[in-house]
Amino acid sequence: MGQQLELLQGTLDLLILKAVSLGPRHGYGVLLRIQQISKNTLEIQQGSLYPALYRLEQQGWITGEWGESENKRKAKYYRLTALGKRKLHAETDKWKRMANVIAGILQTTPEEV
Amino acid sequence: MTWWHSLRSGLSAVLRRKRLEDDMDAELHFHIDTYAEDLIRQGMAREDARRQACLEFGGLERAKAECRDALGTNLVESLLQDLRFGLRMLVKSPGFTAVSVITLALGIGANTAIFSIVDTLLFRPLPVRDPDGLTFLAFPRDANHFEPEFSGPEFRQIREATRGVFSSVNAMILGGLSSANARSDGLTVDGVTMPAEALFVSGDFFPALGIRPYLGRLILSGEGNVPGSDPVVVLSYHYWRTRFHEDTSVINKPAFINGRPVTIVGVAPKGFLGPTPLIEMQAYLPLGMMTLENGGDTAFLTDARTRSLLIVARLAPSVSIKSADAALGPLGQHLAKQYPRPGVQPVLQARPLRPPGLVNGPNPFPELAALFLTLSGLVLALACLNVANLSLVRASARRREMAVRAALGGSRTRLILALLVETLLLALFGAAAGMAVGVLALHALRSLAATASELPLVFEFPFSGRVFVFGLGAALVAAATVGIIPALRASRANLSAVLHEGGRSSTGRRQRLRTILVAGQVGGSLALLIAAGLFVRSLRNAQHADLGFDPGNVLNVRLDPGEIGYTKAQGVAFYSQMLARIRVLRAVQSASLVTIVPLGDNVQGDDIIIPGHETSLGEQPPHASYNAVSPDYFKTMRISILYGRDFFDSDTDVSPRVALINETMAERFWHGIDPVGRSFKRADDPQNDIEIIGVVRDSRTEDTYSPYTPTFYVPISQGYSPAQTLQIRTAGAPQAIGPDVLSVVRDLAPTVPVLSIRTMSDVVNNGAGGLLLFNIGARLSAVLGLLGLALAVIGIYGVTAYAAGQRTQEIGLRMALGAQPATILWMVSRHGLAIIGAGLALGLAIAIAVSHLVGDFLVGVGATDPLTYLGVSLLLSLVALAACYLPARRSMRVDPMVALRHE
Repeated sequence: MGQQLELLQGTLDLLILKAVSLGPRHGYGVLLRIQQISKNTLEIQQGSLYPALYRLEQQGWITGEWGESENKRKAKYYRLTALGKRKLHAETDKWKRMANVIAGILQTTPEEV
Repeated sequence: MTWWHSLRSGLSAVLRRKRLEDDMDAELHFHIDTYAEDLIRQGMAREDARRQACLEFGGLERAKAECRDALGTNLVESLLQDLRFGLRMLVKSPGFTAVSVITLALGIGANTAIFSIVDTLLFRPLPVRDPDGLTFLAFPRDANHFEPEFSGPEFRQIREATRGVFSSVNAMILGGLSSANARSDGLTVDGVTMPAEALFVSGDFFPALGIRPYLGRLILSGEGNVPGSDPVVVLSYHYWRTRFHEDTSVINKPAFINGRPVTIVGVAPKGFLGPTPLIEMQAYLPLGMMTLENGGDTAFLTDARTRSLLIVARLAPSVSIKSADAALGPLGQHLAKQYPRPGVQPVLQARPLRPPGLVNGPNPFPELAALFLTLSGLVLALACLNVANLSLVRASARRREMAVRAALGGSRTRLILALLVETLLLALFGAAAGMAVGVLALHALRSLAATASELPLVFEFPFSGRVFVFGLGAALVAAATVGIIPALRASRANLSAVLHEGGRSSTGRRQRLRTILVAGQVGGSLALLIAAGLFVRSLRNAQHADLGFDPGNVLNVRLDPGEIGYTKAQGVAFYSQMLARIRVLRAVQSASLVTIVPLGDNVQGDDIIIPGHETSLGEQPPHASYNAVSPDYFKTMRISILYGRDFFDSDTDVSPRVALINETMAERFWHGIDPVGRSFKRADDPQNDIEIIGVVRDSRTEDTYSPYTPTFYVPISQGYSPAQTLQIRTAGAPQAIGPDVLSVVRDLAPTVPVLSIRTMSDVVNNGAGGLLLFNIGARLSAVLGLLGLALAVIGIYGVTAYAAGQRTQEIGLRMALGAQPATILWMVSRHGLAIIGAGLALGLAIAIAVSHLVGDFLVGVGATDPLTYLGVSLLLSLVALAACYLPARRSMRVDPMVALRHE
C-alpha cells in the first residue's frame, strides 16, 4: 500500500454520489467501493462517511432503504435519486473543468507567459 | 433549504427521534461489525479485529452528533434543552424566581380580571345558536335612545310583513320591569314565596334561540297565543340551583306566580341568563300568561296603543342587518303613519342583541373599559420593568457564565434564545398565578356588587377562552419586554474582560439602563396614583354632596303582597293597617310608604301636559319623573316642603288628583308664577287634572351628580303599586327596630314576601344609583395605584442599594481619607434623586395624557386637578426618598477597614 492521499475538502460528497450511482450500496459498501476504485490511495475517515451520507439524503440527492446484506443482517442501502443524478453530472463537469484549469496552470512554462 | 423546511424536518425528527436513534445505531454498528468480520476473514484475531475496526471508525458519538446535525434536529432539540436548563436555573435561584413570578402574577392578574369584566360587558355573545343572527327591533329616538316597545297589532303586522327577512319573529315582555315600578313576580313553592325576575315569551322564542333544556322542557311553539291559557313556567338554571339546590322534584310541581297556580315544567340550560345583559331572567312563561302580572288585562296583545312587547327577530340565512334595515324601511314608515309615535324617527331598525343590546341610553362601557384597561396595562408595564430590572442584576451576576458558555462554542443566537426561554418560563408561571389572582379579585368584586341592587344583576365573569388567550398574550408581551434587553446585553459580553475583572462588574451603561427603567416605574406609578387620587376625591365629593334628603336613621323594608296575589283592595288595606301599627312602635319618629326608593330603584317618568304651555313642532314635550308616596314621606326623608301642604289621609283614590312638585319643576314650567293651585295632566292619563298642592326642595333620585330633573309626587292612594317600601325614621340605630317591624308584618299577613330590609344609608352607599360606581372605581383604581407604588418602591430601593453596594470600596476609601457622612449620603442618594425627578416629570406627562379618559367619570373634581397632582407627587416623592435613604444610610455607616478588605 503506497502513501495515501488526504481527501481534498468537499470531494467526499462527489465520491459518494459516484459510488452510489454504480448501484445501491450500504455505507460500508460505499467505503469499500471508493477504496477499491481508488486502489486504496485515498484516506477516508470512516466515521465522517455517515454525516456526509445523512446530509446528502437530507438534500434529496440519495435515498436510503433498509434491506438485507450479504451477511444476512439488516443494512441501509443508498441509491441515487433523479435529483442526485443531475447533481452528480453537474459536479463531475465542474470537477473536470477545475482539474483542467489547475493542470493547465501547473504545466505552464516561463516561455508561455 | 428554507427555514420552514428545516423546522418541519426538525420537528418530525424529534417526533420520530427514538426510531431515528435506533436506526443510526444499527447502521453504524453494522459498519463496524462488517468491517471487523472482514478483518477476521483476512486473518486477524477476533478481539484485535474488533478493536481495530472501532479505532479506524473514529469517535462513534461524534459521528452520531454530526449525523444529527446533518438531519437538522438541533433547532427543536436545543429549544427543549434550553427549557430544561432554564427550569433548572430558575429552581437554583428561588428568591429571584419567586419575586419575579409574584410581580408578574399581580400585573397579569389585574389585567385578566379587568379584561374578563370587559369581555362580559362588551364581547361575550349570548350562549345560543348563531348569536350574531339575533336582533331586536326599535325606532330610534336620538343618537343614544330608541323605542323598542310595540303593541300586539304592530307585532303581528311586522311578523307577517318580514317573512323574507327574518326566519323567526318573537315577542317578549320583561316582567315587572315594564310596569309602573320595577318589581319582580312572586314564585310560591311549598308555601314559600320568593321574587323571580320573569320573562314572558311567544312560543317560537326558544326554538329560534336553538337551545335545549337542562331538565324537562322549554316553552313550546303553540303556547302563549291565548291570554292565560298555558300556566307553565321554566326556571333558569342559576335560580333553580340557588333556590332549589338542584332538586329535580320541582319539575311538574304545582307552584304559584303572584298567587295564581302554574306548573314548573323545566329548567333552561346552564349559562343562559336571558336576552338582556347584566340582568338575569329567572323564570320564563308563555307570552299570554302576562295576565298573571296585570290582573287579567289583555290589552298588551290586542290594544294598538298599549306598547309593551319587545320584538326579537332572527335574521334569515344570508340576510345581513344592513339588508334587513333596507327591507324594514317602508314598513316602518307605514307603521309610524298607522300608529303614530310622537318624538320618534319613523325608521324601523333591526339592532344586534349582543351587549349592550336592550340597554337604552348612552353606553358608558367602552369608555370605562378603555380607562381601566389602560390603568391595568400600566400596572403590567410596571411589573415588567421591575422584573427586567431584576433580570439585569441577575444578568450581571451571570456574565461569567455567559462568557464561559460563549467561549465553549455557544453561538450568540443560542445564548439569547436560552435567556429568552428562561424569561418565557417566568412569564408563563406568572400568567398561571396571575389568572388565579384574577379569579380571586373577581370573586371579591362580585361580593361587593351583590348588595348593589334589588334586581338580580349578573356579576358573573366566567373564565372564558378569550380571557385565557388574553392572559397568555399579556405573558408573552411581558416576556418579550423583560427578556430582550438583558439577553442582548449578556450575550454581548466580552470574554476576556469579564474573566479578568474579578467579582466586580460595574459598567456604567448597565447602571444607566437600570436608571431609565426605574424612572419609568416611578412615572408609571405616579400616573396610576393620580388616577386613584382623582377617583377617591370624586368619591369623597359624592359622599359629602347634599342629597336633599337625610339618609341617616332610616330603615327601608321592601314588601310586595302582589307576589302572593293580593288585589289592590287587599293591598291598600294591608299597607294602611301596617302603617298605623308601625307608627305607634317605640323609637319610631315617623313612618311612610314610597314606591321608588331614591338612588335605589329605577326612576319612572312620563310626558306631561300643561295648560298654556305650548310645545313647538320638533321640540320634546315636557317630561317629568314621578313617585308615589304616602303622607309623612317628606317628614321621614327630611325633605322640606317649601310651600303648600303635605298629603293627607283624606287624599284618596276617589278624591281630586293632587301632586307636590319639586323646585326644578316649578322653576321650569311655572317660572315666576306661584304653581300652588295650578294643574297639569299626565300623558298616560289625560282624563284627570292634577292639582299642585305644594312645592318641595330638590332631592336626589336617579344619581348623585346629574342636574336635577323636574319631579312630581302623587299620593300612593292615587298611584297604587303592589310593591312598596316602608320607610321608618327612628330615634336610635335603625336596624334595631327590624325584628319589631317583621313581627307586625307577619302578624298582619304571614305569607307576604318581605323582599329586603336595609338602611337608607346602605342604599346611598351601595345602590345602583348611589355611590356604587364611585366605590368600585375608587377601590379598583386605589388597588392598582398601590400596586404600582409598591413596585416602584422596590425598584428604587433595588437600584440604589445595588449602586451603593458596588461602591462599598470607594466609599470606604473616601471615608478613610476623611469624607463626612453627609457627603457620602449625598453621593449615594444623588443618583436616586435624579431618578425620582425624572420619574415625576414622566408621570405627570402620562397622567395628563390619559386624563381625558378619566374625566367623564369624575364628580366635583377636574381631570387635571392641581391639588391631586401636587399631593400625590409629594406623597410619591416622600416614599421614594425613604426608599433611597435606607441604602444610603447603610453606606454612611460603612467601616472603612471592612470596606477596603472587601475585595
